[in-house]
Amino acid sequence: MNIIEPIGRDLVGTARQGSTHPPVEMALSVKDDLLVLARVGASTVASRVGFDIEEIDDLRLAVDELCLHVLQGRRSGRLLLAIAGEDGRIDMWCNYDGPDEPVDQSIDDEVLAGLSGRILDALVDDHGPFERDGLPGARLCKRHGRIDG
Amino acid sequence: MMSAIHGSKATFAEFADSRDPELREQLVEQHLGLAYQLARRYDNRGESQDDLVQVASVALIHAVDRFDPSKGFEFSTFATRTVLGELKRHFRDKGWAVRAPRRIQELYLEVSAATEVLTQELGHPPTVAELAARTGATEDAVLEAVEAGNGYRTNSIDAPDRQDGTISSRLGDIDAGFEGTEDHQVLVDAMATLSERERHIVRLRFVDGLTQSEIASEIGVSQMHVSRLLAASLATLRKSFVTGN
Repeated sequence: MNIIEPIGRDLVGTARQGSTHPPVEMALSVKDDLLVLARVGASTVASRVGFDIEEIDDLRLAVDELCLHVLQGRRSGRLLLAIAGEDGRIDMWCNYDGPDEPVDQSIDDEVLAGLSGRILDALVDDHGPFERDGLPGARLCKRHGRIDG
Repeated sequence: MMSAIHGSKATFAEFADSRDPELREQLVEQHLGLAYQLARRYDNRGESQDDLVQVASVALIHAVDRFDPSKGFEFSTFATRTVLGELKRHFRDKGWAVRAPRRIQELYLEVSAATEVLTQELGHPPTVAELAARTGATEDAVLEAVEAGNGYRTNSIDAPDRQDGTISSRLGDIDAGFEGTEDHQVLVDAMATLSERERHIVRLRFVDGLTQSEIASEIGVSQMHVSRLLAASLATLRKSFVTGN
């Protein structure tokens, strides 16, 4: 089962301009429930750029929130992820690539988006929508040594 | 086999009317094999087989007591659901909900303890490299253990903590905090699906803006314990939005 695969060099262009470290890229099958790999990928990159264990814990929560916000209840297709770490910061981009199936009607999008936004506000330094080639998505940035509050 | 099932149905019908203790014992004994089989499904998760069989057996007794033969269900269906529910609750409250290798479980506990010690020594939370150096594990192994920690469940809210009394006894009123959010009532409803402690921690982190370490100090648990509770709470909140419960 090919659960992780390269997603093409063009996504590298979404990483910060001038970065000397290419981002970690992965494509995760949604139905296989592989968010653990996104968390591990982000944690590993964050560890390499000096994040402490508490910052990594917050990042893991943020990765879940970002990916689930992008998925909006979809249960097929792929999540395209890129994670870049450099100079005490980590950037992550997440896009959904899959059939344009209806999002679960039982999900209250606006409320969920409001909750996700609030949670991400508390966990990372910056986040927002990120569309790539027409694919819906979102991004986040978290810096090492952030002062909360 | 057919006569045994019919016999069992007749016994359940009789027990439903009489509540005779001897019939109850007979029914429990007849179905102990089911409890044993279900308990075996949770082998190798770090809990003793005897404990699991005991949990399953107690659940079976409850199932016998609550089963209503007039509803037309098979007892085995009803009992299976009841016993599995109790076993899962047992793991949720007392152990690893997701099986992790023993070396990872042990490393997680080491990392958790080292995080507290190093935070005191360094004056800030340690890095993964510092934790690896302290525990003698590789950085990758530390990250693996931290991730696996999501599967480790915490004690009951009424369990004694590091300070006197119980955690629940020191929690204040936590119903406010999300007033500024759109669809406040929906959020309040979702928050109601959390335990008192989870709501308190969610509010401290996402409304009051406390760090995990600050929350840990306030409620008297470890930072990694707070991390687990936050992850579990957010998962519950998301689920409540999806299911509408």
